[in-house]
Formats: sequence, structure tokens, C-alpha cells
Amino acid sequence: MTYKIILSVLLGMFTGYFILPESVLQYTDTVIDIGLCFLLFIVGLDIGRNKNILSQIKKMGFRILLIPIMIALGSIIGSSIGGFLINLPLNESSAVGAGFGWYSLSAMMLSSYSVQTSTLAFISNVVREVFALIMIPFIAKYIGDLESIAPAGATAMDTSLPIISRSTNSKTAIISFVTGVVLSSLVPILVPLLINLPFK
Amino acid sequence: MLLRLVIYLSILFLGGLIGYKKGIKKEISNKIDTIQIACLLFLLFVMGVRMGLDDKVISSFLNLGYQAVVLSVFSIIFSVIFVMFVTKFISKNSKQEEFSDDL
Repeated sequence: MTYKIILSVLLGMFTGYFILPESVLQYTDTVIDIGLCFLLFIVGLDIGRNKNILSQIKKMGFRILLIPIMIALGSIIGSSIGGFLINLPLNESSAVGAGFGWYSLSAMMLSSYSVQTSTLAFISNVVREVFALIMIPFIAKYIGDLESIAPAGATAMDTSLPIISRSTNSKTAIISFVTGVVLSSLVPILVPLLINLPFK
Repeated sequence: MLLRLVIYLSILFLGGLIGYKKGIKKEISNKIDTIQIACLLFLLFVMGVRMGLDDKVISSFLNLGYQAVVLSVFSIIFSVIFVMFVTKFISKNSKQEEFSDDL
């Protein structure tokens, strides 16, 4: 599956760059929205079929929230360490990490700070999303179901959800959705907060 | 953002309701599987097309690609490790998955 995912994305990039005219861009949004809704519907079907899922989720209770919290901490700390290695100021690297894969919003929020940082936020969160799509089936197989939600970040509620659902099970799909919602709501809070850190 | 959330939730809920009430026959569920994979790969293809069409993505990747890869890879690795710390605690009491289907 990982190969098919990589191949599809690469083939798409190739087609977009070399073959299709730029005017197609405006329609891709609609196509993605429709496709995503259809996939979410199937994820819903799967969840409904497994009748004891909700009781399992109930048993976990608020402990589920630990997952988005740990993903948020891991993303920000990881990106700060990465930034330190390539000599980026701490406020910039941590703010980019707090995009959690939501590239459009994190880039938009950083545009008033600097074009360079905004572009970096955009591109590194795009890269995060692509890596997430590639790594999720692999992590689900060799590390664990809940861990496979981690690379997805904020996209765990939409673009990565169908892959997580296919690579794991419906219980993980619900947790993934909740995680994505929590992380998405944290992006607009954390990105401005971190970029304004007093120490660099 | 909020509207999107409401739409996603209602679609998931609708799917869940149909799956719960009607159940799905084996033959149909196999077909759905194939359609799901096809749709997923097509969606990824379109996402790739978007990136390929957007000159900003390509040109900024050439400029900042190295930094972007470092930041995103570290983000991913650390978030996976951090989640590993808590998985035992979270799935305690709840029995392990009844079935997990590999791809």
C-alpha cells in the first residue's frame, strides 16, 4: 500500500507539473472535497458496523485526549530540535512545528511575521502531510495503531483519516478523528503564541 | 473550519448510522473495499496534481526543501515517540482490537 501511495502522489505531481494546465487548479479543490466526503462516509460505515466500538471508546474516556497532547508536544519539541540542528531561531522552528501538517493555515498565520518563515511553514507542513500518508501504513504495521495517528497531526480528521482507517481499525479511526479535531483547534492558538516567544 | 467540521461529522455519523442499522453484506463490503482503495489513490493523485501545478510549492521546495524535510521529519519522529509513551496507559482496560486488517 505504501508504494501505491507514493506512486499516486508522485504521478500526480508529475502530471500537474508537466502535463496539466494551471487552470485545472481551481477544480481540484472540489474534486478533493467530494472524494474526501465519500471516503469519510465509508469510514463511518465501518465504524457503524462494529457495534461495540463506542463502549470501547467510552472506557478510554478522557485518556484519549492524551494522544493529541502528546502529538502536539512531540511535534513542537521535535521541530525545535530539528531547527536547532540547522540553526533556525527557536520561535520560528517551534511555530512551524505547531502547524501539525495544516499547511495553509500555519503559513497564513506566519505571513505577517516573515515571508521566508511563512513559506517554510507551508512547505514543511506539506512535506509532513506527504510523509504522513506514506508512513502511516508502515507505522500501523510495525509500531502500533495509536502511533500511526501521530504523523498525521491535524490531518488525522480529514486527508489522513481514510488511510489510518484502512491501515488499522474503526476504533482507531474514531480516535484519529478526535485527535485531528483537537490538533486543528490548537494550530491557530499555538502558532501565534510560539512565534512571539521572547527568546530566540 | 467549523462548517467543515460539521460537514465531516454529519457524513461520518450518517455512514455510521447506515452501517449500524442496515449492516452490510459480505459481497457488497468487498466491493466497497475496492472502491475505497481506488478513491483513496485517486485522491492522493489529485493532491499530487495540486502540488505539481502550484509553482510556489515546487520553487519553495527547491529553496527550503532541506530545512522543511529536517523540521517535518523531526516533528513526525518525536510525535510518534511521545505517543508511544502513553499508548499502554490509554489502551489499559480496553481489550485489544477485535480485528485489525492489514493492507
